Amino acid sequence: MEYRDYYKILGVARTATAEQIKKSYRRLARKYHPDVSKEKDAESKFKEVKEAYEVLKDPEKRAAYDQLGSEWKSGEQFRPPPDWASGFEFGGGAGTRGAGGAHAFEEQGFSEFFSQLFGGRSPFGGTGRRQSAGGRDHHARIDVELEEVFGGGTRTLELKRPEMKTDGSVELRTHTVRVSIPSGVTDGQLIRLAGQGEAVPGGGRSGDLYLEVHVRPHRLYQLDGRNVTLTLPVAPWEAALGASVTVPTLGGPVEMQVPAGAQSGQKLRLRGRGLPGQPPGDAYVQLKVVLPPADSPEARTLYESMRTQLVGFHSRSDVRR
Amino acid sequence: MSECIEVYQVRVLGEGDWIAAVEACRLCRIELEVVMELADLGLVSPRGGAPPDWQVPAGALPRLALAGRLIQDLGVNVSGAVLAIELLERQRLLQRQLEQLERLTQD
Repeated sequence: MEYRDYYKILGVARTATAEQIKKSYRRLARKYHPDVSKEKDAESKFKEVKEAYEVLKDPEKRAAYDQLGSEWKSGEQFRPPPDWASGFEFGGGAGTRGAGGAHAFEEQGFSEFFSQLFGGRSPFGGTGRRQSAGGRDHHARIDVELEEVFGGGTRTLELKRPEMKTDGSVELRTHTVRVSIPSGVTDGQLIRLAGQGEAVPGGGRSGDLYLEVHVRPHRLYQLDGRNVTLTLPVAPWEAALGASVTVPTLGGPVEMQVPAGAQSGQKLRLRGRGLPGQPPGDAYVQLKVVLPPADSPEARTLYESMRTQLVGFHSRSDVRR
Repeated sequence: MSECIEVYQVRVLGEGDWIAAVEACRLCRIELEVVMELADLGLVSPRGGAPPDWQVPAGALPRLALAGRLIQDLGVNVSGAVLAIELLERQRLLQRQLEQLERLTQD
């Protein structure tokens, strides 16, 4: 596994005080927190920062980490020394108000380096965390396409989990889970897979796996709850005179009547054509009037004719004083 | 090494579902006391008598989980988390509207 330089990640000196470490963590957490950040790779950077802070904020873990020495560089191949963490007493540590006692600490997504040295089954991980005999719940994010949300589907996920080997060491194992995506699931909803969280040796109750659904942006449709909106280009004469147009919906193309006198930006509703559910969502078609270019003598003649014949039309009547 | 598990049955926690507040706390990694403050500030509307017996709408779970993350990771207090969540939701709404307008004005 690869060594991680937690001081470098937090941008502090090895001699930094607890206050300096906390200040640096807060600054970087604000910058990279995936819920608020627009930075590229925010999620992976935040995990690095959080992992570094989990170690450096805790005097026991920091002292043990410091004993590894300052010669290591990030990315170098590393094996924990055989007497790793000997001579330390392990306290539980206080959680924060946001965190429930049994879950004050989330190591999911942390590196193998962390799992081996400070993870759930390392000497640092075992004390004072778990309140019940059950395994912890695991959380993961699942990105799905809108078509999968509409019709349902099956996804295979690869989740990395720390597991204890027979020799007592911990390794990250890839765990493959095949999940049915229920039709009509919406952005932000949680899918619970009972018993697919942390396993407990000796037959205790395994934790659950929770998947938070994130629907990827779609080329054509915008999603708002179970409603979908499509922007549909129409010709000026279709908007002015009315027309029957074919609209692509998630369930397939449908014929829709554009009313005469329709305007650009006007929304038409196709009831029940959104995502399935109780009740199903609606599809909204937002009209976008597209002008043909005046790039031929015939087209120019038509526009000239409109200018001379539609004398009562004032396009800027709303903005006149 | 990879281990394959077939999962056919999943449970979606969504509209119309209510779950016990204590279960929501476990799931979202927040304390009941925080849920009580979030309820006072209007971020979640629980039902039931005393807080330990409360139920919360499953649709509120993402908000509760987000509140937990903001409190734990960024060190904000409960009022700050509520303000941040409301502003983030407003930002997402405006972003959606902006994207719709951009689609209308794109060639």
